[in-house]
Amino acid sequence: EIQWGEDGRPFHFLFYTGKQSYYSLMHETYEKLLNAQKYQDQLIAQDLPPQKNKRNLAGSRWLTKIELEEMLLEKLTDNDYSRFILLLEKLMTLPCGDMEEKYVQKFSKEVPVQLQKVVIEPLKYDERGVAFSTAEGGRKTARATAVVYDNGTGKITVNGIDILHYFPVLQDREQLLFPFQFLDRVGKHDMVCTVSGGGRSAQAGAIRLASAKALRSFVTEKEVEFMRQAGLLTPDPRVKERKKPGQEGARRKFTWKKR
Amino acid sequence: MAAPSAAGLARRLRAWLPRLTQVRWSRYNPSYLEPEVNKELYQKPLEELSEEEKEKMELKAVRPIKAAPPTLSSSVFSDPMISKFTNMMMKNGNKVLARSLMSQTLEAIKRKQLEKYHKAPEDEKEAIECNPYVIFHQALKNCQPIIGLNSITRGGKTYQVPVPLKDNRKRFLAMKWLITECRENKNRRTLMPEKLSQELLQAFNNEGPVIKKKHVLHKMAEANRAYAHFRWW
Repeated sequence: EIQWGEDGRPFHFLFYTGKQSYYSLMHETYEKLLNAQKYQDQLIAQDLPPQKNKRNLAGSRWLTKIELEEMLLEKLTDNDYSRFILLLEKLMTLPCGDMEEKYVQKFSKEVPVQLQKVVIEPLKYDERGVAFSTAEGGRKTARATAVVYDNGTGKITVNGIDILHYFPVLQDREQLLFPFQFLDRVGKHDMVCTVSGGGRSAQAGAIRLASAKALRSFVTEKEVEFMRQAGLLTPDPRVKERKKPGQEGARRKFTWKKR
Repeated sequence: MAAPSAAGLARRLRAWLPRLTQVRWSRYNPSYLEPEVNKELYQKPLEELSEEEKEKMELKAVRPIKAAPPTLSSSVFSDPMISKFTNMMMKNGNKVLARSLMSQTLEAIKRKQLEKYHKAPEDEKEAIECNPYVIFHQALKNCQPIIGLNSITRGGKTYQVPVPLKDNRKRFLAMKWLITECRENKNRRTLMPEKLSQELLQAFNNEGPVIKKKHVLHKMAEANRAYAHFRWW
């Protein structure tokens, strides 16, 4: 597609930058930013209170770099993309008029927020009539299954051994009791768990996740939301990083010798 | 000889690898937020929350949240400053030893303060602080420098320029000074808890070598005040 006329002069004034559509976009966005700042200054000069624009945090995200490249039909670098996003963020913080809303909406996408509605399993009842629930959890290479019984004294058994003997370290026992202490149900439940794999801290983390998942069936929905916000219900994705060739470990390089 | 050829092989291998991932990355998606463990914040009724807190709550309801690390817990005994200090004292990943040293230090502080309490006359008894956590926090606060020095090179010469420090940096320097002080300036016979408790009590009363180091740093910053305009950030 030829971008210059018969006399050799290019049509677009930013042709010689190489990325004409990207730079013209930055130009326009910055103009909008300056207008918004002028508007805010006028409001302050007239002693009116500053408006706060409500942004729905839930549904929108900015375009990714690849989508922006498709829109502009030009290659972008990561640096360019991040600068553009920073400009948009700055524009959003100022009181935007309706005009700028429409302009900004071109660059944001709706994300259907389906926060995977996790199905909370109903309580099961065993022969004695005591309610219990089972759940699994894992951390690094450790896998654990926990069965939490109601109307208990707070006894916790791991692989047939009491926790005082299985976890001699205080930190691991603190982690096991964390979900119960968070919900104020320390002496009310009994727990029987089986765990295999991993080290001592990984096993403790796996049992913590399993017990938190099991406690969801005993507890109201609001408290389940509180547990999620306390970080008890997310499985920890951190695993051991692989060793790379040409280095001694995952990060450590070989000793650098000058000659 | 084996050494140059091995180095040449390694260099060729490294150049052949494509750039895999960035250096500072995390296994979590950047949209994940930090977990909030404090129970009381969740039991507050909705009316008492301020504007900012309401916005934060709305954001948290929508975004996913990272898993709580094994050092963080909602019990009264877990303190983020103490865990940070224990991690800095840890050597070769021996968290068990570091944690036991920390608990022995706090016990030693409590014992010393109780001794002082029982020996003191009636009117001074209230002034003596017995809670080791309060003493720890106050001692760290007293050790934090307000201003630091950065080396900036201008025209071949390196100048020490006074620079304001961030909160994280201040806390880190205070903890680092305490630990290096305890590891180096002690007799071979004294154990770490003993020496640390001594240092913490001295820092609590604004005496001791760590406070002196902080004052020395402040004096150097004051002396180099003329170069303060070299700072561009």
